[in-house]
Amino acid sequence: MTECPCGSGSAFEQCCGPFLEGAPAPTPEALMRSRFTAFVRGDLDHIENTHASDVKDGFNRSAAESTANSVEWVSLEILNTAEGGTNDDAGTVEFAARFRQNGELMVHHERSNFRREEGRWAYVDGKMNPKGEPRRVEKVGRNEPCPCGSGKKYKKCCAA
Amino acid sequence: MERSFSCPTCGKCCYGQLPLAIDDTLAHADRFPLVVMWTPVRQGGRSFDITAELGITIKLRKRKLAAVQISPCAYLPPTLPCPELTADGLCGIHATKPLRCRTMPFSAYRDEADQADLLIPRSEWMCDTSPDAPVVYRDKSILDRQNYDAERAQLVRDAAILKPYGEWLLDSVPSLRMEIQKVAMKPSGGQVIVSFSTLIPRLAKVDIYAFARNQLPIMTAYAKKTANDPTLTDFHKRYADMAGEWGKIGGN
Ligand code: SF4
Ligand code: SF4
Ligand SMILES: [Zn+2]
Repeated sequence: MTECPCGSGSAFEQCCGPFLEGAPAPTPEALMRSRFTAFVRGDLDHIENTHASDVKDGFNRSAAESTANSVEWVSLEILNTAEGGTNDDAGTVEFAARFRQNGELMVHHERSNFRREEGRWAYVDGKMNPKGEPRRVEKVGRNEPCPCGSGKKYKKCCAA
Repeated sequence: MERSFSCPTCGKCCYGQLPLAIDDTLAHADRFPLVVMWTPVRQGGRSFDITAELGITIKLRKRKLAAVQISPCAYLPPTLPCPELTADGLCGIHATKPLRCRTMPFSAYRDEADQADLLIPRSEWMCDTSPDAPVVYRDKSILDRQNYDAERAQLVRDAAILKPYGEWLLDSVPSLRMEIQKVAMKPSGGQVIVSFSTLIPRLAKVDIYAFARNQLPIMTAYAKKTANDPTLTDFHKRYADMAGEWGKIGGN
């Protein structure tokens, strides 16, 4: 058995293989995994075909191919997924793809957005090195509106 | 207030770094050694607003902001002429010269009302600004504005590519963000040079292999040209690095 490059532990034929052949991926995560596998195998057709319609035109295939060829992929780790269920039309997948370039180990950490188009999941765009949800730690000024929503100044309301 | 200007084509302004519209980089990729130049302008600086509009902003310490101009450029030391400048001081590609050169002495990187100091020739420049020269700028308006407008329109179109490119690269390369922040805090300012290869993925129609084949011989030639000049060590190293990078991409 050839283990699937996406690191699922399953055989390629039972994992990303069918998606690279054109079968629709059931979830954004499955599509993301298959796109990683496509990068590993140099299958740029799959990368291009799984872009959302409005970003396809902006895709530079030669540059993606050149990058794919210049790196040695090491591993894929799915860090987080959100939405992307059977009733959703959008979903996000956060992942860390490790690779070696010029002898150095590097990480591509991205939170990708996917959209369902005519029943099939498609890659829209991504945020590199996303931080966690912003925590609200900033101080409220004493003369600012009170965060409780009373409409009064903070110092005359909850701060009093 | 009226300002006069005419150009007796001394060729002295055709030296050093030349900012280029994206289309001009592509049209002249076999001529100029190309980079992407990142230039921070701090809040309160005179061209902050226009720079933020055409480029991006970046947070600094103490809740300060810098606008960053992201400009594709021909990367040349101030002492070296444009490769197209002929021995008699004329432009060798006059019919197809970049928008930047057409708009001279004005600049679409600045607001129209903020052009006056661009009409003061630097020392050695032979521009005629005497009353005998034609009036070109009156009450903060450019009289023949065709080239200025064309360059500004191009910069706005380029911004649609350069802004998301800039945000993406800053997110991707945290050390670049730190470097820009450092330069922005310096009283004397400065620039950060980024390889043009980082921009190619954003230019969908550009074949990166053909581009690499164009840039490799140019970078190699400039690396050689700057090898023995101790004042150009930084430039030499850049050219050599970029020759190495394009060579790798092009498969040499
Ligand atoms: S292209 Fe022509 S006008 Fe522009 S800098 Fe070079 S020589 Fe001067
Ligand atoms: S320095 Fe002035 S006179 Fe000389 S070429 Fe440039 S614009 Fe013309
Ligand atoms: Zn797989």
